[in-house]
Amino acid sequence: MKKLGHLLTLLLLAVLGLAACDANAGGADRDGSPAAGGTLRVAFWDDAQRCADPNQVYWIETRSVNRQVADSLTDQDPATGAIVPWLATDWTVSGDAREYTFNLRGGVTFSDGAPLDAAAVKTALDATVALGAKSVLGLTYLAGYASATVVDPDTVTVRFNQPNAAFLQATSTTTLAILSPATYRETPERRCAGRIAGSGPFVMDEFTAGTRVHLTRRKDYAWPSSLVRNRGAAHLDAITFSYIKEDSVRVGSLTSGAIDVAWPREPISEPDQKLIRATGGRVESRPLPGVSYQLVPNVTDGRPLADRRVRQALQKLIDRRTYADTIYWPGYPVVAGVFDSTTPYFAPQAPALAHDPDGAGRLLDEAGWRREPDGYRYRDGRRLSLVDPVTAALPGDQLLQDQLRQAGIDLQLRVVTAAQRVDMFAAGDFDLALAFLTRADPSVLGSALDQAVSRQGTARYSQDAGTGERISALFAQGLRAIDPAQRGRAYADLQRYVVEQAVSFPICERVQAVGLSRRVQGFAFTSESFLRANDVWLSGADG
Amino acid sequence: MTRYVLGRIATALGTLWAVYTVTFVVLYLLPGDPVTQLLAAGDVAAESLSAGQLADLQARYGLDRPIHDQYAHHLWRLAHLDLGESFTRNVPVSGLLADRLGPTLALGALAVLLAVAGGGAIAVMAVSARSGVARFLLRRLPAAGVSFPPFFVGLLLIQIFAFRLGWFPAVGSDGWRTLVLPAVTMAAPAAAMLAQVLTRSLDRTLAEPWVVTVRATGLSRFAVVTRHGLRNAAPAAVNVLGLLLGATVAEAVVAETLFSRDGLGRLVQEAVLDQDVPVVQAVVLVAGAAVVAINLVVDLIHPMLDPRVTAMRRAG
Repeated sequence: MKKLGHLLTLLLLAVLGLAACDANAGGADRDGSPAAGGTLRVAFWDDAQRCADPNQVYWIETRSVNRQVADSLTDQDPATGAIVPWLATDWTVSGDAREYTFNLRGGVTFSDGAPLDAAAVKTALDATVALGAKSVLGLTYLAGYASATVVDPDTVTVRFNQPNAAFLQATSTTTLAILSPATYRETPERRCAGRIAGSGPFVMDEFTAGTRVHLTRRKDYAWPSSLVRNRGAAHLDAITFSYIKEDSVRVGSLTSGAIDVAWPREPISEPDQKLIRATGGRVESRPLPGVSYQLVPNVTDGRPLADRRVRQALQKLIDRRTYADTIYWPGYPVVAGVFDSTTPYFAPQAPALAHDPDGAGRLLDEAGWRREPDGYRYRDGRRLSLVDPVTAALPGDQLLQDQLRQAGIDLQLRVVTAAQRVDMFAAGDFDLALAFLTRADPSVLGSALDQAVSRQGTARYSQDAGTGERISALFAQGLRAIDPAQRGRAYADLQRYVVEQAVSFPICERVQAVGLSRRVQGFAFTSESFLRANDVWLSGADG
Repeated sequence: MTRYVLGRIATALGTLWAVYTVTFVVLYLLPGDPVTQLLAAGDVAAESLSAGQLADLQARYGLDRPIHDQYAHHLWRLAHLDLGESFTRNVPVSGLLADRLGPTLALGALAVLLAVAGGGAIAVMAVSARSGVARFLLRRLPAAGVSFPPFFVGLLLIQIFAFRLGWFPAVGSDGWRTLVLPAVTMAAPAAAMLAQVLTRSLDRTLAEPWVVTVRATGLSRFAVVTRHGLRNAAPAAVNVLGLLLGATVAEAVVAETLFSRDGLGRLVQEAVLDQDVPVVQAVVLVAGAAVVAINLVVDLIHPMLDPRVTAMRRAG
């Protein structure tokens, strides 16, 4: 029996070797002519929102589906963050960032046959605003929306009541994708259930929420943005999306060839990545742009974090490299600011976030928190305890707890349900609150921290009046400036100030790691780290 | 007999009402409400909505009314066989049930068949095997089977039969091949329990004095077990089988989640997490109705399997 085992192992290695050779062969003609045909089978982990309508979707996995079906006015370069033409060939923005005029590309049709014109764009934007709370992201993307005006069939002007310099980036998102006028005659509920027609390279012909989504190629597609190499119809015949909750089953399905793409929310673990590589596959990864995974303090009077020295000590006590190395894997990007590194206008603050337990100890001593024999710090008989509401005490939370315990801080992980946590954040019943949000524009941090626009607990409790005013002023400056250099300066000042004042404690980057079988070629992320399938093709004829 | 059946049906309806009410109360005692829960599950926080927007969402689901109003409203609708609309899926609950009932029924039916066949075979072999070692092992196998968590059994089956051998798909709901592994996962603990009960009652039966007489007519040990022993040991096993059938939806939660199958189990699991009250209540009602119906059937066929029950009822 043992001998048989050895034989099997040898056989397996031989097969893997062959597979590796084959993968190389596939790679050789990767830059050659992509093969047409085939169905790409993608497995996500879940779909809790169960909505297909890009204008309403906030679930990041569904936005990868939306991108294939619905086009936007503009596109965003993942490498530079620059906004490039797509359905709009060019545009002008007024100096006060309140008026945007788009010239539309001719010859574009929706999958139901209707032409894309200025009236269709106006219908789409008006309908997205009309969704109100049903489009949580649309609310901020279209903040201050006044009107859209049809100037002529190819020109549309969008006006705002207040400066909204982030709107240009918003036009590149799936949230502001333009659907056909007929789609907007359906109710929002029916749109959610999949009654949508866009102008994308694929058509959605089945949407069974949380179970199966089926897309079929549009043969007459011919209007990708300049970021796509393939100028015509997609190489793939079809794409199917399924949902597999168990990590091991999802990865096993990939390595056994039952699916081509395994796309979880949490990064694929190191052992699973090795397994995928051993079977000839590979892992593509990219941090989600936007607010990094971070904790935000409650600085209300009487709470320990009201003292800036305690906050700064906390900033120095978080060992971010160890966090990345042990919770994920050696080489996992170490967070260097309030944004993930893929966010446009990202300004790294690495020195201010360096691990410095001695410096932290001095700050805590100075603030009057003295070590007692039990290892914790006390002031006036009160232990230095920080309440951190979590939905589960994950390894990362426990590592953080341990890092702070070594300096005498008692991090209390209060395990509650998601809804309870929302209540606690809203009521200020916390010392540290979790924040993160995906968007490839720095204005996204305003949803978490800007007291002038956000009603979230993370905004209300994290800054005293003076700090709050300064932060709101910097956000406003970023939304007024249409010149990239000016915007960059405003957001650089903002990022530095937020870290200096310890209004945010960045913990880690949010990386999307995607497992690909050796058949998948031409894989690409969008600027928001979603799927772009125009250039994807399948090598080899095996099923 | 008619009075007996009518009485049982009245009890069944009472049980269903109690099940419904308890579920309703439990779901409403949970902290938070479905709207914040739903938004919190996503990449956004409910607090980014204004109070007015939140109120709109709550009014849409009738969550702004007092709890007793909501209870009366739901019960009234239920009396008219209207199960209402799902909070999170924007579809009628009856449609959801219709879609998901079939796969779970098919899965449950196959699992029960496998459990009966497997459990029965192990029990019969455990008492009739000639080899002492085989008897010893077969008697201990069910204990092991009961102690393995179904989740682990399922993962093991997937690793071996889906990923290594490739005989059956690991996920999906299309075709009979997707049924096999989840059904085996569900059947394993049930078969083990059945085998335990059946072995014990076979032992008791075979120890009866009449068995010696039957053996004396020249029947083999195996024939005694299958022709006479099983018939006498069956009532206990049928009772256990009734319990196992009632637990189908609960077991389907694990099997359907693990194998990414559509069905009532996964539906109710997701609905509980979303606090999708109408869906949870509908599934609980269906599962409750199934338990009640199965118990009724078990009670009714018990006398047929064991004449002593009827005799005692007549005497009493």
